[in-house]
Amino acid sequence: MYDIGMTVFNGLAWAMATFLVAAGLTLIFGILHILNFAHGGFFMIGAYVSYSIMMAFGGSLPLWLYLVGAMASGIVVGLLGWAVDKLVFRRLRDVEDAYSLIATYALLLVCGGAVQLIWGLNYMGVMPPPALNTVVFVGDMFMPTFTIFIILSGIVAYIGLEFFISKTSTGRLIRVVAADPWMAQLLGLNVKKIYLITVIFSFAMAGTAGGLLMPNQSLSPELGGIFLLQAFGVVILGGMGSIRGAFYAALLLGLIESFGTYFFPQYPGIFFLLALAVILLLKPEGIMGKGQTA
Amino acid sequence: MAYKINRRAVVKGMGATGLAMPFLNAATASAQSGPITLGVVTPLSGPAQLIGNFVRHGAEIGADYINANGGVNGREIQLEFRDSKVNPNDASVAARELIGAGANLQLGTISSAVALAMGPLLESEGGVVITSGAGTDKLNHENYNPHVFRVGDSPVSRNAGLVRHIANSRPDIRKWAGIIPDHEYGRTTWKIFEATMRKVIPELTGEEAEIAEPVLVPYGSGDYRNYISQAMRLDVEGIYTSVYGGDAVTLYQQSQPFGLFEKTDVLLDSANEFLVATAMREQTPAHWSGFHWYYEANKGNPLSDDLYSSYVERTGDQYPMGWAAEAHAAIMAYAKAIEKTGNTDTMDVIAALKGLSFDSATGMRHIREEDNQAIKNAELAFIEPSSSEDSGFAVTDYVSLDGEKVVEPARPGKTLDLSTL
Amino acid sequence: MIDYRARFRSNLLIASCGLAVFAVVPLVANSGLMFLAGLVAINVVFGLSWNLLFSGAGLLSFGHAMFFGGGAYAMAVVSLRLPELPFLVGLALGAGCGALIALIFGFIALRRASGVYFAVLTLAFSELVHILITKTTFLGRNDGLVGVPRPEIDLGLFRLDLTSATAYYYFIIVAMAAAAFALWCFQNSPAGRLIKAIKQDSVRTAFLGTSVFAWQLTAFVLSGAIAAFCGAVMVPFTQIASPEIAYWTVSTQPILFTLLGGAGNFWGPAVGAILFGAIDYGTRAMHGLSEITVGTLLLVVVLVIPGGLLGFVRHRRKKTRGKAKASTAGDTGARS
Repeated sequence: MYDIGMTVFNGLAWAMATFLVAAGLTLIFGILHILNFAHGGFFMIGAYVSYSIMMAFGGSLPLWLYLVGAMASGIVVGLLGWAVDKLVFRRLRDVEDAYSLIATYALLLVCGGAVQLIWGLNYMGVMPPPALNTVVFVGDMFMPTFTIFIILSGIVAYIGLEFFISKTSTGRLIRVVAADPWMAQLLGLNVKKIYLITVIFSFAMAGTAGGLLMPNQSLSPELGGIFLLQAFGVVILGGMGSIRGAFYAALLLGLIESFGTYFFPQYPGIFFLLALAVILLLKPEGIMGKGQTA
Repeated sequence: MAYKINRRAVVKGMGATGLAMPFLNAATASAQSGPITLGVVTPLSGPAQLIGNFVRHGAEIGADYINANGGVNGREIQLEFRDSKVNPNDASVAARELIGAGANLQLGTISSAVALAMGPLLESEGGVVITSGAGTDKLNHENYNPHVFRVGDSPVSRNAGLVRHIANSRPDIRKWAGIIPDHEYGRTTWKIFEATMRKVIPELTGEEAEIAEPVLVPYGSGDYRNYISQAMRLDVEGIYTSVYGGDAVTLYQQSQPFGLFEKTDVLLDSANEFLVATAMREQTPAHWSGFHWYYEANKGNPLSDDLYSSYVERTGDQYPMGWAAEAHAAIMAYAKAIEKTGNTDTMDVIAALKGLSFDSATGMRHIREEDNQAIKNAELAFIEPSSSEDSGFAVTDYVSLDGEKVVEPARPGKTLDLSTL
Repeated sequence: MIDYRARFRSNLLIASCGLAVFAVVPLVANSGLMFLAGLVAINVVFGLSWNLLFSGAGLLSFGHAMFFGGGAYAMAVVSLRLPELPFLVGLALGAGCGALIALIFGFIALRRASGVYFAVLTLAFSELVHILITKTTFLGRNDGLVGVPRPEIDLGLFRLDLTSATAYYYFIIVAMAAAAFALWCFQNSPAGRLIKAIKQDSVRTAFLGTSVFAWQLTAFVLSGAIAAFCGAVMVPFTQIASPEIAYWTVSTQPILFTLLGGAGNFWGPAVGAILFGAIDYGTRAMHGLSEITVGTLLLVVVLVIPGGLLGFVRHRRKKTRGKAKASTAGDTGARS
């Protein structure tokens, strides 16, 4: 029982961490049809920014600083998103999708190089805030409080995003633009502004995710790449632009990967990829069905 | 420590020699007077750049030291650096290019895969390489090649040394588990650990060691929690780990709330030196780590002191790691060998290196003729969190074990025989 | 009407010039540079194979490393474990390996042929192949396979001794020229043109009765086979096959070459490969900047000159030609 319980728990942890990264990715994907490779890079920058904030305040991480830091990272990376939209995305609006993909890949490399130059090569390991760095015992399962926090954050993020997209007016505008940008423009909507808002919001989510996940693993310039493939898989499986799809896909893939490595520990990382291949073979549109946006 | 682009190196790289080199032929470049050019092929970009930097500093400090003391038969040592990108293809291109331009004597290999690839390459192209940290046991066993030398620990001396020291100082620890990265280096180190432990514990205590199946972890992954859960289920007193670099930091970081290392008495780390401690600072779990070179253990050795002080002066970093000493030792070995032969021809230098005893930052090292493996002291240090140090950690114990006692017998061309440990 | 004869002749001229330059390298440069030139030649065709898919069929592959690595490993295994098999058979097996991988993964990936999905799936599959290689003992796991011998080809009447690096270099040049020729012929054949039509408007072509899926799969398989061929030819040269050649960073190389040189032109990837080889070589002693250099370079190229160098050149020529015509004719410049 312990084993199954822990495996489920760890699978949820993987899922929610990946969802936090993938949420912003799927938004940009659905609205601008750009798969933003650099999302991993900006997630990483968010983590490093949050680290610098922590160091600026003395090097310890009380709970309030942790949360404030994550928000601040979100803002900083959101601003970077504004710059990236202006300099890169806007120019690629009318160009083939392929070029945007390559441009975002190039951006990822630049992010990695920039992080190296600014923060150096050394590994850094930051512990979660002391308030969260405990363990909760349920029966004979022990669950680190920080992991529970991440899982809850993922769920909260999901609920918040769903609400934003389906209930608020901005969310509705975004959905309209995603569904038919040409029509939206004809109807007088400021499509450019909507795109800009989406990009900034998506980057801000990447930055916040980075700040939240900073104490989850070691910090190094490779951090961007680690979550990227997982996030891509989740977005592909979940369907272009669908937050709901991304959430369910993350849960599915997280549990598969966790149980896979439980039964076959010598093959880490394979189950997630195999599951992706098999599910797409059976259901090419992804688990949410046809191109549903948000 | 922020990354500093060494302007000197940039100018050097773009210098006339760099641009003209492709059109030089080996004949003109390897004149038997004038400066001696040694090629250093090591990761200068990418994830392993952290280690490559130590190699670079160590090599440069070594070369400076030799040149300040009259050079080799009056000739200066010059270094040509190339980025191996930890990729055997890129490394072999770099090595070939260097050989083509006359730098047939090389050093700096860190990656085991690259080291294994070097043998056949150097044999056909004509060159020698002294590795600076490649940890595969195949190098002086089944993949032995006379053109490849290892002046550092073999994985046996390193790990068997670690094990013997711990077993001798804490024979009460009999129940062991391992957290091992799922690749060659991880698997080999575990084999050696297990075999040595199973031999030594009964010798010391008369009882068998209880060693659980190792937990194999992926490398480059962000989430080790499943594996930590697995490890938590084991009833152990000591943990051995050869997880490397950033993965080790993540592993230790994520283990903390589980209390994995509080549950156990001893944590043995095969090779991370200060990587974990500098990353985690006062959150570092107390652990023993194997070192290629620990400066405190070698205080008083002029080579070691010079290496340490020059390094600190160059970088401002107080914690040089052993790879610097390995590159440094390679320079020392080449210098002595070239002095002996009077020239830099591949076959002559190989003959001179075989059986060579030379002085290094860890004391005298002796390169075995049979398998090109050096016998050197195996160094270990105990790192603990410390609130009084700026860095958050302190070394409270260290040991330098006589190489003769921990190295495996020479078996070039054959696989490692664990029964000999 | 496109004058194919003229096009053939002009391309043949370009190819011959390129061949001549490559052939001369061992005579003027040292063995290191010659080695690099051999790798560049392989990169040229690697890029061409990728561009077959990209410009020829409109499919963006982020996973070409799986073919390159697959072909390389197939060749390494054959050379080391089955030395009785003739070398050319080994090469064919390498190419076949790539074709097989392409067939299997293409079948899955092409069902959702929307550009971005396809690209990410190729990335995921390439990573799967990479992981599988590192877990397989007979492929050498992480250490790879070393000491791959160079062959002696027995052609009945005479033997070709390719054991020296120089001899094998010339073999590479010949093999790559043949592959490039094959690619050119395919792209200018009715099949190639059909695939291009699919790229331009797949709905219309479907209405004409062609199976879009089948032809895209064909292009993918051919591209994979040639990429694998490149890997297979490379392995006896470098004499190692290690998992890094199946790593996703290798997949980005043909993309870089093609974009740098210009995707719209058949020789674009060649220009890009040679240019990149030159840049890589020129900066080889400068450490630590490669990631940011490559990234910035690629970014600048995509944003400023998406047509690559050749596209840029063509654009300038059009402009000057347009200007000249306008000044003589006095009205809107003729479209060329």
